[in-house]
Amino acid sequence: MQQFLIDTSWWVPCYGFLGAILSLPWATGLIRRTGPRPAAYLNIFTTLLACVHGWALFNATWGQESHELIIHWLKAADLDLSIALDISSASVGAMEVTTGLSLLAQLFALGYMEKDWALARFFALMGFFEAAMSGLALSNSLFLTYALLEILTLSTYLLVGFWYAQPLVVTAARDAFLTKRVGDVLLLMGVVTLSTLSGSLNFPDLYDWAETAELSPTVAGLLSLALIAGPIGKCAQFPLHLWLDEAMEGPNPASILRNSVVVGCGAYVLIKLQPILMVSPVASTALVALGSMTAIGASLVAIAQIDIKRALAHSTSAYLGLVFVAVGMNWTGFALALLFAHAIAKALLFMSTGSIIATTSCQDITEMGGLWSRMPATTSAFLVGSAGLVGLLPLGGFWAFQQGVDDFWYGQPWLVAVILIVNALTAFNLTRIYRLVFLGEPMPKTRRAPEVPWTMAVPMVTLTIFTLTVPLIMQTLSALPSWQYLNWQGSLMIIGSGLTGLIAGSIATFNHNWSRPIQAPLRLMQDFLAYDLYVDRFYRVTVVFVVSTISRFSAWFDRYIVDGFVNFVGLASIFSGESLKYSVSGQSQAYMLTILVGVGLLGMVLTWSMWESALGVFF
Amino acid sequence: MLSALIWIPVLGALIIAVLPPTIEASRIRQVALMFGSIALALTIALATQFDALSIGMQFQENIPWLDSLGLTYRLGVDGLSFPLLALSNFLTLVAIYCTDITVQRPKFYYALILVLNMGVTGAFLAQNLLLFFLFYELELIPLYLLIGIWGGAKRGYAATKFLIYTAFSGVLILAAFLGLTWLGGSNSFEFDPLLSQTLPLTAQIVLLGAILIGFGIKVPLFPLHTWLPDAHVEASTPISVLLAGVLLKLGTYGLIRFGLQLFPEAWAVLSPWLATWAVVSVLFGAFTAIAQTDMKKMVAYSSIAHMGYILLAAAAATPLSLLGTVFQMVSHGLISAMLFALVGVVYKKTGTRDITVLQGLLNPERGLPIIGSLMVVGVMASAGIPGMVGFISEFLIFRGSFPVFPVQTLLSMVGTGLTAVYFLLLVNRTFFGRLPDQFANLPQVPWSERAPGFVLAVLIVILGLQPGWVVRWTETTTTAMLTDFPTIAAKVLKSPSPPKILANEQLVIHN
Repeated sequence: MQQFLIDTSWWVPCYGFLGAILSLPWATGLIRRTGPRPAAYLNIFTTLLACVHGWALFNATWGQESHELIIHWLKAADLDLSIALDISSASVGAMEVTTGLSLLAQLFALGYMEKDWALARFFALMGFFEAAMSGLALSNSLFLTYALLEILTLSTYLLVGFWYAQPLVVTAARDAFLTKRVGDVLLLMGVVTLSTLSGSLNFPDLYDWAETAELSPTVAGLLSLALIAGPIGKCAQFPLHLWLDEAMEGPNPASILRNSVVVGCGAYVLIKLQPILMVSPVASTALVALGSMTAIGASLVAIAQIDIKRALAHSTSAYLGLVFVAVGMNWTGFALALLFAHAIAKALLFMSTGSIIATTSCQDITEMGGLWSRMPATTSAFLVGSAGLVGLLPLGGFWAFQQGVDDFWYGQPWLVAVILIVNALTAFNLTRIYRLVFLGEPMPKTRRAPEVPWTMAVPMVTLTIFTLTVPLIMQTLSALPSWQYLNWQGSLMIIGSGLTGLIAGSIATFNHNWSRPIQAPLRLMQDFLAYDLYVDRFYRVTVVFVVSTISRFSAWFDRYIVDGFVNFVGLASIFSGESLKYSVSGQSQAYMLTILVGVGLLGMVLTWSMWESALGVFF
Repeated sequence: MLSALIWIPVLGALIIAVLPPTIEASRIRQVALMFGSIALALTIALATQFDALSIGMQFQENIPWLDSLGLTYRLGVDGLSFPLLALSNFLTLVAIYCTDITVQRPKFYYALILVLNMGVTGAFLAQNLLLFFLFYELELIPLYLLIGIWGGAKRGYAATKFLIYTAFSGVLILAAFLGLTWLGGSNSFEFDPLLSQTLPLTAQIVLLGAILIGFGIKVPLFPLHTWLPDAHVEASTPISVLLAGVLLKLGTYGLIRFGLQLFPEAWAVLSPWLATWAVVSVLFGAFTAIAQTDMKKMVAYSSIAHMGYILLAAAAATPLSLLGTVFQMVSHGLISAMLFALVGVVYKKTGTRDITVLQGLLNPERGLPIIGSLMVVGVMASAGIPGMVGFISEFLIFRGSFPVFPVQTLLSMVGTGLTAVYFLLLVNRTFFGRLPDQFANLPQVPWSERAPGFVLAVLIVILGLQPGWVVRWTETTTTAMLTDFPTIAAKVLKSPSPPKILANEQLVIHN
């Protein structure tokens, strides 16, 4: 039985694909009579199947050694591309988290997207999305990982662009695809280089190679930078972070997955790549620098947002920044713990957000208020999600931070400070959102706000309970420190930073008169943060400007120089033909002269060797 | 067997020509489709007999023709030409199917398409240089007429430009062939004996130069490309499908068959320059495509970029990269054919191809949702998204070329990033957004018009998931082609080791 489960482990990602393909008749409008709902049920069913199969697999692999499954895909010349899967409790667990969250998000979508005409297309894309992510969790080959990351890029593009008739959605989808694509192309460069240098793309072979590789520092540095570029794009880290905030234009159930597991996939790949990145010290420096920059920068930017989804999306970037720091410092345990805790809590926060948006049809937190008594399940989901995210109560976020603080305690105290700052800022941000949305007087848009229907409430409450049990799961996975070794100072610092944020968020004034400062410096500061440090404008005047200038120049060059030359040759030959025809005078003497000169010249050329020798006498 | 592939289309053309003038256009189309299908069925029958593991030409036919000139009717097919032959016959069928029912002068039109098919098939099969040249020139005439008669507003200009360019290319190729034979002192234009002959390096370089420019026009490579955008814009949809899908492949096929194979020493000397030329072509094509507003022009410039990869891989001349060239020819043939077919539907329904005018065509009820979805598949395949054929062919090329030309390969990879830029612009502008009122009542797209896009999309995905099905035809041939190449290259370049190891050392030491 166990062997059978392991042999069939590759089915799990296929269920999602199967669901996507089965939905096609509804998505393309071939079947109209039933409405789009059967496609949704089909996808939920296949995801459930993936969940159940994954769970059985998880039980079968628990405590076992990891198995490797290799399917040879393409053997050509000296290249052997294989689909390698790593079946271990860790990878299957990651896959199970993905499919589980996907199932909850799809159930949630059943309510959230109820009235959308393109329900079938949405569910097909979700199936596609889920398949790529669960495949990524199992992948043990850099080639497969790269391929799935690209498919993830494509499905992100399609999901963000789901409501493609809206102008903001169009630019959001474009930016999501292109920024991720920048990372992907750089990653592809790394993959090709690595494949040439090491001869194999399976992770175990690459790890062996990386231990003994002797590369010049420049090649090693560039290689490792190329490899981390892919995760940078996926995890929305500076400088490729632009897309995540804009991607919030997409449907909320997809945002649930995007902010929890998709970004997690990027980080998971980074963790897989970590032993290879050891070939160069540049990578770890870059990871720590970019990660801490993003962590603090994005936390600050999140505070200035008034769109509820964007405020949370920036905090996703911030948490993933901490994961980058952890990988850069080689503490993968902390990275995985934080990823797990963040994925669950952030998914719950986004579900709660989805409920708010579905009920109020509004995303602007300054137009909300007083929802706590009207939407109890949503309120408790938000509170539990926040508690699970920040380090204050002993939930997932706290224990993950605890591990991080322990890891950095002796070697890199300044990174402890980064964690504490992010924790305080996130606590402040979440308190701010909570006060504006749930407390205070009801506003016009939140006055009539009933709790969401059961299709949305059930997955939300399920995830609420699950978030509360995250410490128990971490206990089972022995990811919690034992009591006698607990770093009490560290714990107190984490709780202190969380409390600081909470209290600061509670006493700060957020009323309407204050929402726009009059003083110029404050106002500039607010704009600077609210517009995401003006990064998009910076890109518009740099990268976008350079590419469009070059393209316009090359189009001009093509049209006027290359083609101009061709047309000039054409015109010149027509013109010379046209003008030469006037030299035809009709006088036979002129013809005779031309013939005579021509024949004479020809004779000269043919007898040139003779003339040369004759002339040689004189010179 | 091979002769049948050449003469069946001719027979079809003759039958169509003698059909009574009163016959309906749809009947003529059916006849043309029938002959196209027979040719395709024969190709499939050939595939079952084809021995993918044998080196050298198969199904050879040899009939003496003009011995005094050295011209013989010698045909043969190997792993390099077979995939292209199949592609050509398949796309001819697609092109006939794509043709508008109401096409003017249908008899002449379908007859010309079949003659074109014959010329291309003959060129892929010919094993005598003069015979190749005959077919290569023969294919010009129907294509010139097809662009010149059934084209758009500026069709005369485009057709003449195409004719002059390609005729010039033919002259250069003929000159190189004549030079090769006469300098070698032989009187025969047979391919195989010429393979083993060696000329002085200078003579080889001069002749290879003529071959490179000649086939470079056909590929086309920057700066010899300006006939292509004009020809595509003016040609009707099925002709664009054939032009991009099949005819450009004659250029790259010629580069490998008559450049790399006949002049290995000179190829080894020139290869760094060729790789650089490829990079210029890729980047120029990609950047210029970004600035285009006509959908067809955009796809045409993307063809220039994607054909540039083939030159890069051919220059690298490793077994893997050469395999990549064939794969990329097949994949570009399918993808560009699909894109042109879809653009054709958009043009037919909306009357414009201007991406600044078109908007919101993905609209589910009043727009072109299925065509739009297929377009997304097509552009993603072109941008190299895994799971589709464009990815694996480009991966083979990059992975095969990297050991020899690391810098040029990395620069070419920027081109795949740029492909995403211009095609995303195309999809976002034309298919996303709100459908403007002027396009509010677009005619219905029947399933028969969606069929070519569908079939091509399915093929693109299947071959993308099962690349082994393409690789198996070619691998033996391309590997055999290069058995001597490293030693030849090493001798010419006077380096102690074959280029691959050399490059690895360079990578480690200098960078």
